Amino acid sequence: MSREIEVRGQTVDNAIEIGLTKLGLNRSDVIVDVIDEGSRGILGLGAREAVVRLLPMTPAVPEQKAEPAPARPTPVKPTPAKVAPTPTKIVTPPVPPQTPVIVQQEETAVTPITSEELALERDTAVAILQTILDHMQIEADIHTAVTEPDDMTGQPINLIEITGPDLGVLIGPRGDTLVSLQYMARLIASHQLKNKANFVIDVEGYRERRKQALARLAERMASKVIKQQRPVSLEPMPANERRVIHMILRDHAAVYTQSTGEGSQRRVRIHPKR
Amino acid sequence: MAEDTSGSKALLEYIVKSVVDNPDEVQVTEAGYAREKILQLQVAASDMGRVIGKGGRVINAIRALVQVAAAKEGAQVTVEILE
Repeated sequence: MSREIEVRGQTVDNAIEIGLTKLGLNRSDVIVDVIDEGSRGILGLGAREAVVRLLPMTPAVPEQKAEPAPARPTPVKPTPAKVAPTPTKIVTPPVPPQTPVIVQQEETAVTPITSEELALERDTAVAILQTILDHMQIEADIHTAVTEPDDMTGQPINLIEITGPDLGVLIGPRGDTLVSLQYMARLIASHQLKNKANFVIDVEGYRERRKQALARLAERMASKVIKQQRPVSLEPMPANERRVIHMILRDHAAVYTQSTGEGSQRRVRIHPKR
Repeated sequence: MAEDTSGSKALLEYIVKSVVDNPDEVQVTEAGYAREKILQLQVAASDMGRVIGKGGRVINAIRALVQVAAAKEGAQVTVEILE
């Protein structure tokens, strides 16, 4: 069984649909690579079919597999769950003063956060998470750390790490439950603090693993763009994941990245540099 | 939450009360069966939008979390909002 399949359809969405049916997978189980967006042409003249390539992904949490995945070598080697007894620091790469790379400003700029505000947000977040975990009857450890100032917003961010046995349920298929957990915890914290909470929650190093998988994807797609000398679009991703791709490729000699599309359809497009 | 032993019900109450303006008007009633629970949620009319969220984003996140708690209890749970 081939790892990737290429599908044609009238539109990109149509082609994706056909491909997913072929693979028997959900939209969230594959990375979509738009090869040709197709064109309706004018009055049916010059119409081109859309071509997409679907790359099945193995979920980072195998026990969460919802659909029977096709047997194939795992491209994403799950790194052993990081046991972090001590808070870890996320070190972001140094920013060169000037980069020709087009990186979209994804985060909204905020006023500088003080260390008191950070500490208050951290304590609020930990209390909320502890309550949620208690109600879920999940025993886990909560560690906190503050990231280096983010190189896009210049703000340090509270990182709340949850570690413990059997936390796959907190991550969910493709990280969906973790997304919900962070969303609700931020919403509750914002309500309590009367101020927008911006902390990041990670469970068992999932975000870190996902970041590494995205980094590999970025490198692979960049090589492809160089080889074909034409732009490639990645699947739609949330802002933080698009950012990982932008960051990885920002210093790349031969490609640059851009985000296109709106809302949940926003995706990274990798272009060859001329 | 103190008088309630059900994790999923207590979790639902906690989350909803934490995001509304009128926590005193939040009511959760349990129905259904032991393994197929239905949690019926009532909130003040003015808080409805807050609990549902844009495009149902909030209620969907709440459902995802309540389901984790229910799974620990060996149950499936449906969260309904009563108008």
